[in-house]
Amino acid sequence: MIRSDAYVEMYEMDFSEAADRISRKFSKSGQTVDSKKIEGKLRRLIEEFGVQPSEAERSVTNELNKEFNIPAMGAGGSAGSGGAGSSGTAEKKIADAAPGEWVTIEGKIVALAAPASPAIAQGGVIADDSGAIRFVAWAKANAPAMAQGSWYRIESAVVDEFKGIASLKIHSGTTIKEIEEDRALMPSTVPIGELRPGIGSIRAKVVQEWDASHERMLQSGLLGDETGTIKFVIWKEPGKESLAPGSVYNIFYAQVDEYNGRLSLNLNSAMVMQEEGDIAVSGGEAALSGAIVHVAPGSGIIKRCPVEGCNRALSRQNYCPVHEIQPKFTYDLRIKGWLDDGEKTHSVLLQRDVVESLTGISLTAAQEIAENNPLGMDEVFLQMRDKVLGRYITCHGRDIENRVIVNKCEPVTFESEKHTALLNRAGGAS
Amino acid sequence: MSTPAREMGKKDASFEREPARRVFASELRECRYQFKDGEDEKSPTFVLLPTGERCNRVFIVGTLTEKQRQGDQNMFYRGRVVDPTGTFFIMAGSYQPEAMQQLAKIETPAFVAVIGKPSLYRKDEASAPMISIRVESINVVDKETRDLWVLDTAERTLDRIEAFATGTGTDVVKAKEQYPTIDPVTFRKIAYDALAQIKI
Repeated sequence: MIRSDAYVEMYEMDFSEAADRISRKFSKSGQTVDSKKIEGKLRRLIEEFGVQPSEAERSVTNELNKEFNIPAMGAGGSAGSGGAGSSGTAEKKIADAAPGEWVTIEGKIVALAAPASPAIAQGGVIADDSGAIRFVAWAKANAPAMAQGSWYRIESAVVDEFKGIASLKIHSGTTIKEIEEDRALMPSTVPIGELRPGIGSIRAKVVQEWDASHERMLQSGLLGDETGTIKFVIWKEPGKESLAPGSVYNIFYAQVDEYNGRLSLNLNSAMVMQEEGDIAVSGGEAALSGAIVHVAPGSGIIKRCPVEGCNRALSRQNYCPVHEIQPKFTYDLRIKGWLDDGEKTHSVLLQRDVVESLTGISLTAAQEIAENNPLGMDEVFLQMRDKVLGRYITCHGRDIENRVIVNKCEPVTFESEKHTALLNRAGGAS
Repeated sequence: MSTPAREMGKKDASFEREPARRVFASELRECRYQFKDGEDEKSPTFVLLPTGERCNRVFIVGTLTEKQRQGDQNMFYRGRVVDPTGTFFIMAGSYQPEAMQQLAKIETPAFVAVIGKPSLYRKDEASAPMISIRVESINVVDKETRDLWVLDTAERTLDRIEAFATGTGTDVVKAKEQYPTIDPVTFRKIAYDALAQIKI
């Protein structure tokens, strides 16, 4: 008897907590239950009958389920497992699943990804009509493999969070059942400006395509809609195709990653469908006017690593930080500098065709100078600096990690209307 | 495993370059107050413009009318750059070798754009403080760039005068303390005259 008293004391405080948990569960499905009454039932089961608290909770829940004619959770098969896992598990819509919760969900496997580690049996994305979430099935869980496009009921999985991204963990206590569902899921797309880390669906236009920075990379670039732009990447994988620059796509269930406070989209898990039409992309494209107040070293003519997908700038000794000495480099032009409007200074990077049109020095001409002038590449730097330093220009481009990548620019010209307006403003109230 | 928070903190503290203020010679000449923002040895130094804005760097465009080589051991160049309102004094020493070489190369007179840091100095204890600009970069430009600079500088000056009239910012308050005898409205007339000198 002493042992039993201690047992009761240990769990004394849990009655109201468990009772609240149960009543919350039912109030969500529109039922009102008296938590005092539930507490009494729990107390009775545990104190008088020595039932384990988790089992008591389960049993009270099932009793109420019957009362309200709700199909019992974990009914049938799981009864034999003692019901240990089902306590505190709530049936949820995917969009409502919060990190730290044990949940039961029903959803459709919309993507499967190659497991990143042998500890993982399966990974991918599961969706319902409220949203989508990444999932990971641990190898140890011995869970049945799920098939893309099929619907499953996943009971007692855990939602956790890694790097700010929620995912559903399928462990040995989770039960998975395929269910008969043949609904077509139509994910609702969100504006790029409202994307959050996790899984997202957008309708967007490919506004830029960048040189691949990694040999495993199929394509990277920028997607944009009316609310902003986001970097995207597609890794090489059988069956993956590049996006066509300038085209509009519906992209469902892409992975939204966050790094250094910036979001990017990984399209390998996504369903990508090209569509007709156009989007007026705004936001990311900035137009800045000001004076070039500094031309940084590394501007002018540079050598680039010829290894496919590398393209890094080489040192003077033709040394690439990754591929070492590369005597068969290619030449390129660029200007790195600061554009200053008197209030703020922006770091700008002018790309080859912009440099050519602004300085009037073509890549061929620059190469000629670099190879024949005694000062070599320095001479190109000096000539270009003299052409742009202290000049007023307007740059169009995108702000990427605090640097504006300029794809178009033109000199600012004197506008007599502005002159007149300023004369009026200065003379106005004197 | 869980380092992203730290990396993000590092990113937030990203470097911001001090903007180059647009100011006419006749306003810069009036500066008498210089201060440091912070205790650190590397904290930037500012001169306070009478129109109520701190200024660590300037961008000026005018006519380089004179230049002079001075010193033997510590050679440096001095120069005068004239705008429609007055004269800027510029200098470039061996700590700014690139600027000094540039300045040495330029034949006067020429339209030049100068980016540099203003600082106050006194010839001796008794004399009034003078302001000169230590050149970071100097380059020959054309007349259109000079005209654009006059528009730009007039606009920025008028902006500052308006902010001064209504403003309660720290720099405005400081300017009212430091320059009790200067009425920034006089710079409106100066801006007008500078604009009026541009012939269309």
